Amino acid sequence: MLKSKIGTFEAIMLILTIVVTHTILSLPRNLLITTKSATIINLIYVSIIAIIISYLICKLLRNFPSLDIIDISETLGGKVFKNIIGIIFIVYFISSSSILLRNFCECLKIIYYPMTDITFILLMFVVAVCLANRLDFSATLKTNLLVIPLVLFSMVFLFVANTKNFSPQRIFPILGDGIFNTFVTGLGNITAFAGIVYLYFIPPYLKEPQKLKKIVLASTGISAIYLILCVSTILFMFSSFIIANEISSLYSATRYIEFGSFFQRLESVFLLIWILAFASYLSIVLKFTMNIFKKVTNIKTKKPLIDIFGLLMFGIAMLPENLAISEKFENTIYPSLVIGIVFALGLSILILANIKHKKGLSNEKNIT
Amino acid sequence: MKKILRNLFIFIIIIIFIVAFSNSYSSLSMDNLAYVLALGIDTSTNNKLKVTFQFSTTASISESGSSKKSPPVVNTVEASSLSNAINLMNSYMGKQLNMSHCKIIIFSEEFAKQGISSEIYTLINDTQVRPSANIVVAKCDSSYYIENTKPELESLISKYYEILTNSSKYTGYMPNATIGDFFNGLLCKTCEPYAILGGISNETSQNPSTIDSQKDYTLKANESSIEGDTNSENMGVAIFKEDQLVGELNALETICFLSLRDELDNFLISVPDPNNAESYIDIFLTPDGSVSSKIDTSTGSPYIKVKAKFTGKIYSMSDNSNYLDTSVLEDISKSCDSYLESMFSNYLYRTSKEFKSDINSFGKNSLSNFLTTHKFDNYNWLKNYKDAFFDVQVDTSVKSGMLLTEI
Repeated sequence: MLKSKIGTFEAIMLILTIVVTHTILSLPRNLLITTKSATIINLIYVSIIAIIISYLICKLLRNFPSLDIIDISETLGGKVFKNIIGIIFIVYFISSSSILLRNFCECLKIIYYPMTDITFILLMFVVAVCLANRLDFSATLKTNLLVIPLVLFSMVFLFVANTKNFSPQRIFPILGDGIFNTFVTGLGNITAFAGIVYLYFIPPYLKEPQKLKKIVLASTGISAIYLILCVSTILFMFSSFIIANEISSLYSATRYIEFGSFFQRLESVFLLIWILAFASYLSIVLKFTMNIFKKVTNIKTKKPLIDIFGLLMFGIAMLPENLAISEKFENTIYPSLVIGIVFALGLSILILANIKHKKGLSNEKNIT
Repeated sequence: MKKILRNLFIFIIIIIFIVAFSNSYSSLSMDNLAYVLALGIDTSTNNKLKVTFQFSTTASISESGSSKKSPPVVNTVEASSLSNAINLMNSYMGKQLNMSHCKIIIFSEEFAKQGISSEIYTLINDTQVRPSANIVVAKCDSSYYIENTKPELESLISKYYEILTNSSKYTGYMPNATIGDFFNGLLCKTCEPYAILGGISNETSQNPSTIDSQKDYTLKANESSIEGDTNSENMGVAIFKEDQLVGELNALETICFLSLRDELDNFLISVPDPNNAESYIDIFLTPDGSVSSKIDTSTGSPYIKVKAKFTGKIYSMSDNSNYLDTSVLEDISKSCDSYLESMFSNYLYRTSKEFKSDINSFGKNSLSNFLTTHKFDNYNWLKNYKDAFFDVQVDTSVKSGMLLTEI
């Protein structure tokens, strides 16, 4: 169990962390490739669905106060089922964060550290994350509380500072590749709301569990606005990103910010903020992974696990032979994992557990 | 013992990181870098291209107030590709070339006619090249252009390159064409790329033999009558169709180009005097709102309706001028309207029929006519632009003179 409890605002920022880190790399471009000029409409549509799903999760969790999805799966299918679900979520957390870390480090290597081996750039993050996890979780949460609003503000700044380079006409053709592509195939863009996964795990740690609904609505709403802002910046600025691929489309947008001849090259500030956001994201992922592992294995202390999971993260990040492989994972396998694990598996467990819970209640009533 | 081991571990980690990251820091150290200020690309007889690099010297970037000018170093290399040229120059200079301060990229006219996409892609792929670096197509060799660019009022050539396009906002004689915009234009389905037209003033200057204010507006780079030591002059636009240079715009056409793109704050123009057919009045025009364009794509020939509004102040004064008389101002406004309408129409038909290149990005305004990308792609805007028809409506309101209103 986490010793420190998570406040309402901290929980909102926690859920936003996943969205924020993914937008730094290829998420905006992936969204644009799927739905082209209709991406903004698609995001509004997908956001409504994400809010409905989040609300549904919230409702389903109401019958299991102070339980997370691992505990719920135990009530549903026993210990074996709990262990299987636990391992699935551990694999999901570790693999997605490790590959994202690899992609971000490749980006850093290309831009700032051309002569440094990728191993050391990865190690820099892993060491930082392992050190952060030795501290109390509230330290990570408070850092996150500072970093994520900074990233959100930087994105608003990026949008405003680049308005002079915008061509809003690029929102047309309004339906992109057609109605089917925008509203049916484009439904896949819901993977952008992968932060929902934390909803399965935070209820036991909330200071005010009754505010879960507020957390859900606020975090999904802010994620939607943030995503629309990022995608609009890219869509209105570049006609090229649907054809050409850059390592980070938002980084390219930061390079265009200039205020006269004095304020130039602000991309370094953006990268610094993004590095902090990444470290924060990895710390949170590691913390939740260890919590799941603790629940699965029933071990008493987590501390010895920090370095093991840190090294695991490092090892998986080192696995892809090149950027092409890690990008392929992020662009093709990761969205499938989000749909499969976060939306399909998570929701199924909650629905089945609720059915079982209701059956249990009706059986109790029948007995009495 | 545990504490000692922990401290030892931390110490080892710190040492590892210092060693690992020192390579990147030392490779980016100023002492090891040669900063390229300008890059010129020409055709070559011995190889595929001839690349000219202009470097800043330590003295030339010093801002100590020393009056001594240190001329920048200019070196040229022939190679099969831009990357190879950079590599060869790296070995020659003994320092690594750094493009992060490269302010201007010059292509010779001859080279630009062959297509410059691979060079643009290579440069954009370089993390050091800024998207704000200006693109110039020189009417002479780019090496000649670089060697002869000697700013008179700036001791730092980098500063000169930085402010090179500032005048475009108030003269309208050249665009602020950047490599970032050029790259977007290359991959864009609704527009074509363009560049600044440059040249050296004393090479083929044509001094007008007769006095005619209209001649001033038909000038391009390499053709002006400016006499000075700066030598390089940038006037006009180099028009591209895909990645190949297909034409040039003169000063007046460049004003049209920038006006239609809403990139002009104000400009001076000579319109026929309504009371004297042989003379012209200089009017200082300011766009009144942005230019609107409506595009009909119901047929294969796009019909483009352009509406522009300007407010003006009369700049030139002569005997018997009376700019407080409303009928005089109305007459001048009408003269301005018809002059600007014919000027814009001629320019637009030239881009469409002669160059077949939509450098004005009308295509993006046509996007709202299509519901899906597929339908827009099928329409093939860039191909159909050559069949476009234009209807230009200009509404000018000449308000007054400047300080003097009556003589």
